[in-house]
Amino acid sequence: MTGGHEVVVTGTGVLCATAADTDAFADALRAGRSGIGVRPGSGVDGLSPRLAADLSGFDFRTAVAARSGLSEPLRRLAVRVAGRAPLPVQAAVVVALEGWQRAGLHHVPLPAERIGVVVAGHNLGGRYADEVRPRYATSPVHLPARYPLQFMDTDHVATVSHVLGVTGEGYTVGGASASGNVAIINGARLVSAGSVDACLVLGALTDLSAMELQGFYNLGAMAGTGGADAPGERCRPFDADREGFVPGQGAACVVLESAGSAARRAAPVWARVAGYALRLDANSLADPSAAGETAAMAGAVRSAGLTPERVGYVNAHGTGSAAGDAVEVEALRAVFGGAVTGVWVNSTKGLIGHTLCAAGVVEAVATLVQMRDGFVHPNANLRRPIAADCRFVGDRAQPAGIEFALSNGFGFGGFNTSVVFARPAVPSRRQP
Amino acid sequence: MDDPVLAAIRRSVVEVLPEVDGQLVTEDRSLTDLGANSIDRVDVVTMTMDDLGVTVPVVEFREVHDIGTLARLLRRHVR
Repeated sequence: MTGGHEVVVTGTGVLCATAADTDAFADALRAGRSGIGVRPGSGVDGLSPRLAADLSGFDFRTAVAARSGLSEPLRRLAVRVAGRAPLPVQAAVVVALEGWQRAGLHHVPLPAERIGVVVAGHNLGGRYADEVRPRYATSPVHLPARYPLQFMDTDHVATVSHVLGVTGEGYTVGGASASGNVAIINGARLVSAGSVDACLVLGALTDLSAMELQGFYNLGAMAGTGGADAPGERCRPFDADREGFVPGQGAACVVLESAGSAARRAAPVWARVAGYALRLDANSLADPSAAGETAAMAGAVRSAGLTPERVGYVNAHGTGSAAGDAVEVEALRAVFGGAVTGVWVNSTKGLIGHTLCAAGVVEAVATLVQMRDGFVHPNANLRRPIAADCRFVGDRAQPAGIEFALSNGFGFGGFNTSVVFARPAVPSRRQP
Repeated sequence: MDDPVLAAIRRSVVEVLPEVDGQLVTEDRSLTDLGANSIDRVDVVTMTMDDLGVTVPVVEFREVHDIGTLARLLRRHVR
């Protein structure tokens, strides 16, 4: 990218069906562990969705207590501020605390007004609304008076900033399933422009209401429409027998920081945000577009000052939907040409479901741990790949030294995003 | 022993503010004295109404300035 401050990642946090923090996530990805199962209480008639990759055994107070490296007053404040918050907000606080700690912001702080918070997502609390609605239906006056704060997605920004004492810029951004990357792009711009020295980018847990889930199901976008036998095998990105996505509960954090600030604080540098692109399709439908996806990937590679063959790995959007995966393959071929045979491709969604608005940030963390640890994680259930020329990871993790990685996020309504991460100390351009 | 209204207020306070000793919930104190912020206070009121099975028009809470006036208002609506 030209101009502005160099943007690096100094911290990560994650919470999903298979992991409660970044290191556990790295282990789960390497092992190819799946978090997909049948959601208890779902219907058995084939008329409504049954499969989900839900958090297992999440308890907010336990999760906060587990961040024992943080001060006791900070942990107490987190419980005081978010102890009765809806699940998505509690998840945001937990991943933000992890990112904060890993970035060393508790240890070598920055001025509060030099830190920002950008939250990826919209329509985050549908399931919470489902929980509150019966109260309203029975007796409107007994609706919790806290509800107007809680139903606004901006509660994520407010609560996290309250807990961490952050007073720089903050807001939510949306781009359907591309929201995570849209937020990373916005956070990177804040840091690059010097508006903040560090920015917590939070992928918010998208907890759909029953009606919202049913809508995706009726649209034919979800796996399991023909029943839910062998739940672990129904989400199969890039497989000929794929049938759609499985929703996953997940949240994640990346701490973006200027390289100068990171150096001054001696913060760990995971990667550099080397480039990005966001393109619309001028299309309000759910149809993916190879042209739009190609423009996003090619634009991101170009903005990083790279040629495509230097990219070693693509964390695909790869939801497991019929049209989406085929179009992404077409776009990969258009971007990489003959080099497509050398680029590792996997989809994290096959293991932890589609975390929707959080996906871009969750998958950024997946990309970063694979770069850090030198592997690419397996593709779940990929028995009959839809493209023989693509270098899909098989059912086992493979060792891989990734210098440059692309992380894709595409959303209904024509949102196409791609972000390039570079391993630290690997310059995109030759030094002048 | 407490009357049922004060006991209900105490239950709500302890749920909203787990760090507060329930014995401190007395008619001469205010919710603010106990550490409640603006949203905690309305939560306590809503939860207590729910607990007691009463509905009080929002406008009537204007006269409430401590736990004693809250208890008296709620008592007028019980049964």
